[in-house]
Amino acid sequence: MEERMKKQILHAATLLMLAFGVLMAYVAYLMTFQSEALALHPLNPRSSVGEDHIWRGSLLDAKGRPLAESDLPGARSYPYGKMMAPVTGYFGESTGSAGLEGYANRTLLGITDEMGRMGPVAQLFAADHGNHVRLTIDADVQQAAWDGLDGRRGAVVVLDADTGAVLALVSSPSFDPSDIEAQWDGLLQREDSPLLNRPLAGLYPPGSTIKPMIADIALEKQITDPGEFFECSGLLDVGGGYTIKESHDEAHGKLTLGEAIRESCNVTFGTLGMRLGGQGLSDGFHRFAFDRPLQGELMENGNHLPDFYHLDSGDLAQIGIGQSSLLVTPMHMALLAAAMVHGGIIMKPYMIDEVLSPSGAVLHKTQPEEWAAATTEERARMISAWMRDVVEKGTGTAAAVSDVPVFGKTGTAENPAGDDHAWFIGSARLPERTIAFAVLVENGGEGGRTAAPIARDVMMSILSGN
Amino acid sequence: MRNESWTLMLPPLGIMLTGLGILLLRQQGMGHPILEQLVELPYIPWMCVCILLAALIQFVLLHSRPPADPWMFPTALFLTSIGLMMLARLKMELLPAQLKWLCIGMLLFLLMLRLRKFTLRLTEYPYLLGIGCVVLLVLPLLFGTEIGGSRNWIVLGSFRVQPSEFGKILLVLFLAAYLSEHRHMLSLPSRKLLLLRLPPFRFIAPLLCIWSAAILMFVVAKDLGSALLFFGIAVFMTYMATGSRSYVCIACAAFSLAAVLSYFMFGHVRVRFDIWLDPWQDPGGMAYQVVQSLFALGTGGVWGTGFGFGHPGIIPEVHTDFIFSAIAEEFGLVGALMVMLAYLLFFYEGIRVALTRRQTAHMLLAAGAASVFFLQAFIIIAGVTKFLPLTGITLPFISYGGSSMVSSFLLLGILIAVSRGEGA
Repeated sequence: MEERMKKQILHAATLLMLAFGVLMAYVAYLMTFQSEALALHPLNPRSSVGEDHIWRGSLLDAKGRPLAESDLPGARSYPYGKMMAPVTGYFGESTGSAGLEGYANRTLLGITDEMGRMGPVAQLFAADHGNHVRLTIDADVQQAAWDGLDGRRGAVVVLDADTGAVLALVSSPSFDPSDIEAQWDGLLQREDSPLLNRPLAGLYPPGSTIKPMIADIALEKQITDPGEFFECSGLLDVGGGYTIKESHDEAHGKLTLGEAIRESCNVTFGTLGMRLGGQGLSDGFHRFAFDRPLQGELMENGNHLPDFYHLDSGDLAQIGIGQSSLLVTPMHMALLAAAMVHGGIIMKPYMIDEVLSPSGAVLHKTQPEEWAAATTEERARMISAWMRDVVEKGTGTAAAVSDVPVFGKTGTAENPAGDDHAWFIGSARLPERTIAFAVLVENGGEGGRTAAPIARDVMMSILSGN
Repeated sequence: MRNESWTLMLPPLGIMLTGLGILLLRQQGMGHPILEQLVELPYIPWMCVCILLAALIQFVLLHSRPPADPWMFPTALFLTSIGLMMLARLKMELLPAQLKWLCIGMLLFLLMLRLRKFTLRLTEYPYLLGIGCVVLLVLPLLFGTEIGGSRNWIVLGSFRVQPSEFGKILLVLFLAAYLSEHRHMLSLPSRKLLLLRLPPFRFIAPLLCIWSAAILMFVVAKDLGSALLFFGIAVFMTYMATGSRSYVCIACAAFSLAAVLSYFMFGHVRVRFDIWLDPWQDPGGMAYQVVQSLFALGTGGVWGTGFGFGHPGIIPEVHTDFIFSAIAEEFGLVGALMVMLAYLLFFYEGIRVALTRRQTAHMLLAAGAASVFFLQAFIIIAGVTKFLPLTGITLPFISYGGSSMVSSFLLLGILIAVSRGEGA
């Protein structure tokens, strides 16, 4: 009898040990194969927790001015405060991190990927000074855009169209990145969302600023040509009992595609939206990479594209004028403008120019690269010419700068939140560099009146700086 | 054998002293007059008492006639020393209290060594043990206080106890006593229901009582971990005694039914289960602990971040239920497997002791006690690694907690007492 019981005990014990063995194998799997994914997971606060004993590296602007610096290990100051918060981000033990403080945390702490694989031995190689990161951001341009918004809610993106280097990334209202933990609860509760990084994560209907792209898609699909005349009576029947109106109840009469951009004619682009259909629009948005959110240091909240294959003619027409359920980020609208001025090619936007060792040696330099082939050089040139007309004699004259070719498109986007959003996107061939930009003022009314002057301020600051 | 057993005491001592030493150096910085400050540290006296007590116990064990098992106490100390080192690193202010509880645990352990025969004779009073066990389990339901989401505490002034920690000792004693007395009866099939063979009701009634108490804990006290442990022990020991798969099936069916019902009836059960299915649904809210624990494991990798260089403090309650994650983060897979292997060895040794006994009650007692440690370690390690849904319970010998520490040493005392056998 005892023998039988011994056998039973042995059986039960074996079962338990087997289960424990499986658990050990599972733990081993987690800590080897899954290790890297878990360690570098964006929600893992360990990758952004500051190391008290390390002298955190500085964030520098393009001209070497510090945007974030540490006078002592563990202390952090932000000389530009609120204005630079969308760039620098913040970091806190309990709040996690955002912006470059989060993205470049390991670089700023001087931790390399190799050290991550060394385990505890890495502590022997740990530096007491982290690396510095030089950005493409120009504090003067940032300042001009910030002053231009003048406390209104909105976003400004300025980038170098030839390289993709981001010169300014402004979001308003903003927050003071120092001592974020003390302000955290208050910031979360504020209704004007100061923590929202509007250029990258704000989603807005593009309104008429989408029209240069719709023109490009229509030309590519050959459903129109630059010589076709559209008849604008001020009203377009889009089926189902709905109509699209011109703003201010205007009627443009007979006009070509180029003139339709200059006058921002809703009837023409509503017509083109319906002609293109879901497939045509979908192809176009794909070409301009609206379905590809940016990653890395400019991590973007994806654009919201409509379900192109289940749209009625009213929705198609609405998308033609940048309304309906279409929502985009200001960053992506700046990329659209950049494509037109850079021969149809969108360069990959970036903010980290160089990584410098504590002694100033360049450890890494970002090389510009192509990101998307949006359109052909020929169509880009044609549409740019029409966008130039917008600034010289159309809706965007407020952005004109003497002796500088400026290209633009205004937008006045209807939205459920209140007054129309004011948009201005475009580009300019300045003596030193070709820039592209997007300006958005939430509930700012007419784009030509509210947003275009901010773009002008930005261009003037670059001109006066050089 | 004897000399080897003294050397077995060195790893725990070394781990504790090195760990505390490293922390002291990191805190004070090099070059300070450490010796003078050493005297003022609040945990030093307790640590010395613990070391002396441990040495005394090992001395008693080595010179006992008939000989006691020489492996289990050092293994337990190994786990304890890791726990002390981690606690010192995570919550230094709790270290003196934990050392105090360790002293009390070891004193009671010594007492049990002296009262070995009395301990073993306890198995002659199964019903008293059973009633005691049920009373201990029901006590917190009536007079309990809810701490950390579980209503399994009794508060007497500044003194807090978790009765379920001691209930498990009585449970093992009761099951060993009852099952060895009635196992012939229980193995006799009397009625057949479908494919299951059922014994006479009056023999199975006490078992049903214990199972119901476990389920009651599950539902009312929200103490999912203890409920799972009690239930698991009851099922394993019943199988060990009777070899009847029918009991296992019935018990598992009843437990599954209770689990399914409570999933639909009680929010806290549903939350635990949903977190297990997909912690990434709400990684910042309900699933925060589990997700952070997974991050800790991943960050640890194979070699760990190094002692004191990780960030286990991010996990709430890391020093009790989640201490395994902290060990895994700082000592990596190597350290985690070492701890798990120690539990495996401990269990193996306990089962070996059980198989050398002649009396069935003692066999069951040893096997049951060893299973408690092992199953408990399994439940909590599986919980914090998302292998199973998380059910809070302490990691024996390692987690912070007075009740847990004392009850672990009491249970160890039973194991050692059994290992010395029935002879004089």
